Amino acid sequence: MAPVIEISGLRKTYRKLMRQPHHALDGLDLEVRPGEVHGFLGPNGSGKTTTLRALLGLIGTDGGSMRILGEEVPRRLPQVVGRVGAVVESPQFFKHFSGRLTLRILAESAGIPATRVDEVLEQVGLRDQARQTVKSYSLGMRQRLAVAQSLLKRPELLVLDEPANGLDPAGIHHMRALLQWLAHEQGVTVLVSSHLLSEVQQLCDSMTIVSRGRRIVDGKVADILAGHSGSQMSVRFADPAEVSEAVEVLMEAGDNLTVTAERDRLLVSGASDPAWITKTLADRSLYLTELVTETKNLESVFLELTGTAPQAGRAVQVGQSAPAADPEMTVPTGADR
Amino acid sequence: MNLYKAEIHRFARRRLSLIFGICGFAGLLLFSAVLAFNSQTGPTEAERAEAREMADNLNADYDRCAEDEEFFEDPEHVWVSEEPHFDDMTHEEICAELFPAQAQEEDFLYVYTFHFENEGTGIISGIAVLVGLLAMLLASSVVGAEWSSGGMANLLVWHPARMRVWGAKLAAGLTVCAAAVVAVVALAFVLLYLVAALRGETGTLDAAWWQDALGRLTRSLALAMGMTVLGSSLAMLGRHTAIAGGVIAGYLVVGDLLVRLAGFALNVKFPNRFSLYTWVDAWISGRVTLRDWSGRFEETMTLTATDAGLLLGGIVLVFTALATWSFARRDAS
Repeated sequence: MAPVIEISGLRKTYRKLMRQPHHALDGLDLEVRPGEVHGFLGPNGSGKTTTLRALLGLIGTDGGSMRILGEEVPRRLPQVVGRVGAVVESPQFFKHFSGRLTLRILAESAGIPATRVDEVLEQVGLRDQARQTVKSYSLGMRQRLAVAQSLLKRPELLVLDEPANGLDPAGIHHMRALLQWLAHEQGVTVLVSSHLLSEVQQLCDSMTIVSRGRRIVDGKVADILAGHSGSQMSVRFADPAEVSEAVEVLMEAGDNLTVTAERDRLLVSGASDPAWITKTLADRSLYLTELVTETKNLESVFLELTGTAPQAGRAVQVGQSAPAADPEMTVPTGADR
Repeated sequence: MNLYKAEIHRFARRRLSLIFGICGFAGLLLFSAVLAFNSQTGPTEAERAEAREMADNLNADYDRCAEDEEFFEDPEHVWVSEEPHFDDMTHEEICAELFPAQAQEEDFLYVYTFHFENEGTGIISGIAVLVGLLAMLLASSVVGAEWSSGGMANLLVWHPARMRVWGAKLAAGLTVCAAAVVAVVALAFVLLYLVAALRGETGTLDAAWWQDALGRLTRSLALAMGMTVLGSSLAMLGRHTAIAGGVIAGYLVVGDLLVRLAGFALNVKFPNRFSLYTWVDAWISGRVTLRDWSGRFEETMTLTATDAGLLLGGIVLVFTALATWSFARRDAS
């Protein structure tokens, strides 16, 4: 089946007088298949919201092409927008309007019957707060209202920017169930940008990770995790002073190993057999007290792929990527195992 | 059409619309009540008698002063001889200045009579312009608040055809303005006519009066609508209510004064022609004649409603074109 969203080589540069141009999108590609929940991930300043804004015609672009439901956008956006529901960057509403009035005016503007307003308020759990003014809503309730307005059109494609923003755990659970029901029961394609990686891991079928305005990886969530999982082992000693000696021992004995020393433990990647580590260290009279195999989660894969892993004594700036680990702390091995 | 109706509802349901509506209605009632209180159909007999007595007293004082050459030697009036102002005056001239001669009963009758035929159209067209000012603020608030709150981006996600959105907003603003002006003018007409009938003079409202009144009121309505478009356009350009409000208030309060003062300072002929108020007056009145005495002879300059319409319409057109261009081209954030 043809993709619901196709973005190819998208470029967007912000230019300001007396400043260096900022390339928010640098040839970004994105493809979303029908009927799936697709996660759109990236560090702050990586171009996620810019992409969604460009896709929805809010900002112009400097190159590339975009298609929604087979129609070229932004040229054909007015023709296709009736099939798209979207929330970009927690939209604010007139704060003195009630939730219901806010939705009614939007529904009226698109010729949607008023009865649909109560249906979506029920769907997002705002039925009892519908008559309250938006001013009295919490952040989470405003987020629900934003999602409600995106559902008004019974969209074939739902584009949501940080939909779980401000929601409490019950709200997140509710939102996840709603989006999965829409995608898997109603056939709605959902594109979700989010920073909540565990949420994306639970919610999404596929995902695209972007950094510095470019796609780094895309595919099924499970495939991406499997492709980058390569489990690592945590090794502890009774005497933390033995950690540095153990680094040297493993470095000499193994090939294609990554050994990272932390305060009181070692992290070893690339060793398939825990017994080899135990034996190698014991042969040099280094006796470990704990050896645990740690499986990578989406967060560690994300940090590794985007190069935004936190480093000792150094902050990763917004819009910048850095090596995943401190070179001083990571020891690649050179000898054969 | 759906978008237009939705925009009308957005205007109508705004809190500022309600506040302006209530204030406008209350202000009109208050103005009518004050006018009714101040206006009288004519002085009473008692008021006439009191005025006649005051005039007679003043005339008697003058006569006593004029007939008595030693009047100012009286201790009560001796201060006159010490006042340099009176040094070069004759005795009679001093008397005339202190006790105006030939005072009449009318000079002491302080009765105002509201005359609808003479004053009604001017007051009602003034009220229409005030409604236009409120409509301008409301229109700029609707557009500006939508930009500053992020609501505009949300609206554009629903309706990406920007010119359609802009057109609907302008059309809704114009509709609300026209409806408000017509309603307020009709109400003002009824109230002021009642005041005149009960506490003043209605006069004769003949065909010529109606023709003049309808012309002025139609031009007032057009001005109010132009102000509404200008308010929306400024807010669209500035993307904030405060920017539009600041530009409008800044010009009306300070800008116009500065322009006029600059005209005077540079010794330009007819400096008032640089004031927008002059052109607004010409538009509503149909004709304004400016006079200049800076040369040896008085010179005049006539501004007609057509001249004013071209200038004011041109200003609105320029700002609307800029706002349209800006909305079509700039990113929405």
